[in-house]
Amino acid sequence: MAPVAKQYDFIVIGGGSGGSGAARRASGWYGAKTLLVESKRSGGTCVNVGCVPKKITWNFASVSEMLKDGVHYGYDIPQDIKFNFAEFKKKRDANIEGLNEAYERNWSREKIDLVRGIATFKRQKEIEVTFEDGDSAVYTAPHILIATGGYPITPQDIPGAELGITSDGFFDIEDLPKKMAFVGAGYIAVELAGVMNAIGVETHMFIRGNTFLRNFDPMVQKTLTQRYEDAGVIIHKNHKGFNAVVGLRGGKGEGRSLKLVESNGEELEVNELLWAIGRAPEIERLNLAKIGVKLAGKGHIEVDDYQNTNVEGVYALGDVTGQAELTPVAIAAGRALSNRVFGAQHASGGPHLPQKIDYSNIPTVVFAHPEVGTIGLTEPAAIDKYGKDHIKTYHTRFTPMFYSFHPAEEKKLQPTEYKLICQGSEEQIVGMHILGAGSSEMMQGFGVAVKMGARKRDFDACVAIHPTSAEELVTMR
Amino acid sequence: MAPITKECDYLVIGGGSGGLASARRASEQWAAKTIAVESNRLGGTCVNVGCVPKKVTWNAAAIAETLHEAKAYGFSIEETAPFDWKSFKHKRDAYVERLNGIYAKNLGNDHVEWLHGRAHLLSKNEAEIVLDDGSKEIIRAKKILLATGGHPNIPKTSGSELGITSDGFFDLEKRPEKVALVGAGYIAVEMAGMFHHLGGETHLFIRHDKFLRNFDPMIQDKIMSEYERQGIIIHRNSSQSKVEKHPEKSGWLKLHFSDSETKSGTLDLDCLLWAIGRSPEVEDLGLDRAGVKQNERGQIIADDYQNTNVDGIYSLGDVCGKIELTPVAIAAGRQLANRLFGGPDFKNAKLDYTNIPSVVFAHPEVGSIGMTEPEAREKYGDGVKVYNTSFTAMYYAMMEPDEKAPMSYKLVCVGPEEKVVGLHILGSGCSEMLQGFGVAIKMGATKKDFDSCVAIHPTSAEELVTLK
Repeated sequence: MAPVAKQYDFIVIGGGSGGSGAARRASGWYGAKTLLVESKRSGGTCVNVGCVPKKITWNFASVSEMLKDGVHYGYDIPQDIKFNFAEFKKKRDANIEGLNEAYERNWSREKIDLVRGIATFKRQKEIEVTFEDGDSAVYTAPHILIATGGYPITPQDIPGAELGITSDGFFDIEDLPKKMAFVGAGYIAVELAGVMNAIGVETHMFIRGNTFLRNFDPMVQKTLTQRYEDAGVIIHKNHKGFNAVVGLRGGKGEGRSLKLVESNGEELEVNELLWAIGRAPEIERLNLAKIGVKLAGKGHIEVDDYQNTNVEGVYALGDVTGQAELTPVAIAAGRALSNRVFGAQHASGGPHLPQKIDYSNIPTVVFAHPEVGTIGLTEPAAIDKYGKDHIKTYHTRFTPMFYSFHPAEEKKLQPTEYKLICQGSEEQIVGMHILGAGSSEMMQGFGVAVKMGARKRDFDACVAIHPTSAEELVTMR
Repeated sequence: MAPITKECDYLVIGGGSGGLASARRASEQWAAKTIAVESNRLGGTCVNVGCVPKKVTWNAAAIAETLHEAKAYGFSIEETAPFDWKSFKHKRDAYVERLNGIYAKNLGNDHVEWLHGRAHLLSKNEAEIVLDDGSKEIIRAKKILLATGGHPNIPKTSGSELGITSDGFFDLEKRPEKVALVGAGYIAVEMAGMFHHLGGETHLFIRHDKFLRNFDPMIQDKIMSEYERQGIIIHRNSSQSKVEKHPEKSGWLKLHFSDSETKSGTLDLDCLLWAIGRSPEVEDLGLDRAGVKQNERGQIIADDYQNTNVDGIYSLGDVCGKIELTPVAIAAGRQLANRLFGGPDFKNAKLDYTNIPSVVFAHPEVGSIGMTEPEAREKYGDGVKVYNTSFTAMYYAMMEPDEKAPMSYKLVCVGPEEKVVGLHILGSGCSEMLQGFGVAIKMGATKKDFDSCVAIHPTSAEELVTLK
């Protein structure tokens, strides 16, 4: 006998940042009867293998760096302090488990029904969920949101590639490798390589071009790539690729050994290899073809400004759409979607709440060493858009006071550099790029100002706060 | 020998933040013939006994905190590594000296002539400068700027001269074991925090039951409870009757005090620091000879344009006592130079003294701009809406509950538009966090503007754009 379909107002496929944001808004604020389907761990990428463990590990690396900085201030700190990475990892894992539970508590409190399994579309308003034990159930709703996120890509055409890990595997590491290779030039490669280098792992990066972070402003690319090299990261530039990865010794940490066979014939032996060459949308098992959802080039789900797919009542947001793959973006898009679909008829809702999000001027931070913050256009993009004659840039570079006691060769490793890109006679700020200690907490407020349409003179009108690094941004000449 | 007489467009008395910024702007941008006079060290309070050595020392204290926290992250380190105060102090001195040199160089680059000596006004457009060797110069100037700053006060308490002030803090060659600070302003609070983290038993004596009384109550309450959690001993409702040399321990003092718990007690200390306020540096300036008016605290009275009551004489910075911050003096100094020498385009140039952000380098940091909640309620009554949040930063995920430091934010909004009239933040990272929000608030940001900016994750700052 055919299973009876359980009916909901809203089905959310994916319990990550976007899905959770949408589900909680719909159910918690507007009382929509909501089903949340999650196939793995609550909180998705961000909580389990993304933002959260990344930042905790970055904090660990920052503490490690501070211990070295302390020597110059007159602290009697031994140079080679031992640390217990496994103990740190255990605490990190426990923290994440706490967050998994917090997500589930929040869902439960907001009366969201959570099921664990894999969802596939049977019909436009109907999905089937297959549970871990093999059982399945069918659910229907007039509104279904796909927020299944993405996963890191491992190359399919290099023999032995599967011997390497991805960012997912990075967070399984308990025994530190002595020597590690990172392939990729995006922020994930840069962040993870930066952390490993900071805690004493011999770090190699393989990049196709001359600099990494190629979507970032040239100033960031140049200064950060240089800084990584000065800090001991061995960057193999203009790399043509690999022919094979050969396993020499199994095991963990320093015991494990891989041979990387480069396409130019050279070989490198490392303990661990990490592919950070891009991410793909998690759509395979959804059976989107069944309902005719349109996909873009790399398999991302195509959506309009309101997160509608081409199929009525089916929406998508977050990493699966490939738009601004950031947790806060997914959360904001999820909430806006629920405002639009469920809020109109509800007392808590209304047109004063965002019905869609603005994807322009989204500030972000890269947790490299040092941190990078950015919003808006790069200089080349600004010139492209407005013409060279209409663009004026302001730039400054200095060593923050914190490093005043460091010897010269170490000061070199701690640059702070800021660039403002202004447009037109009003000098409207269309891009801001900052690099240096403190940038991660510095960026948000400037993001608000830039989003409000700040001009150079608005920056200058605010009295500086002294002594800080941030003050240099309101006193640029 | 007859004193040398010089003439110039602009005589700037005081080579600190305000004076030098004004002198350099007038000379470099507007080609005004400028002479600057400094009687002590170039850079004034900020460079020598204020902002700069304060921040350097705060950095050292912050490192001590990190050392304490490293164990929770799995590092095998004794929680307090020994700190070589003397070697640190010498490095700090060398850094300040480098800055003195840089300030001199900058004056040269901007063609400002500068004299090392003590200035006394002779009339409304003339001053006598007594140089180090005793010789004198008479300067006749079209415009005179008084930017002589201030100095810390010592109370009339018996034996008070046995204590030091913030000036003396930067002379300390070794770490005091047991220190008492008297005062409830930001200087006392900052220094108490630094002493504590650098390893001394720290007592803070305040007159009432709260410190930072000009700050929002949230700041007052949270910093006080955090200081006590950290182990700083706060004596409320206190007064000091006498300070004397310790009868037995050489180099130590005995402080006689009363507080909310002790009617009459004593405390043995090796360092006593008065941070009870600052007075303007005007004593031998000759204000009476020029007829310049002062208020009841001795501060020079200046209007919004930095005019004094005497035509051609201007004043700014700590000596006016308006908002005693380096960047305020610098900004006011530059605006003044623009107005005096920049031509008709700048005839109305002045500094807007509203919405000036500032940071207190306590542990943790405090940032503040605009009105406190009580101030807003007094002015706007029911029209005020306050948003609050308190949380623990992810950095403390590794620590035990009693080792976690707080993070707290308060947004004070007014009217149906929810215009932000005050922002008060507390916690690690706040010192670099505030500037950008300062720009937004100065632009007239509303709560909606804050919320319209997508959050940056994971940071502490993002909590400010997701307040409910």
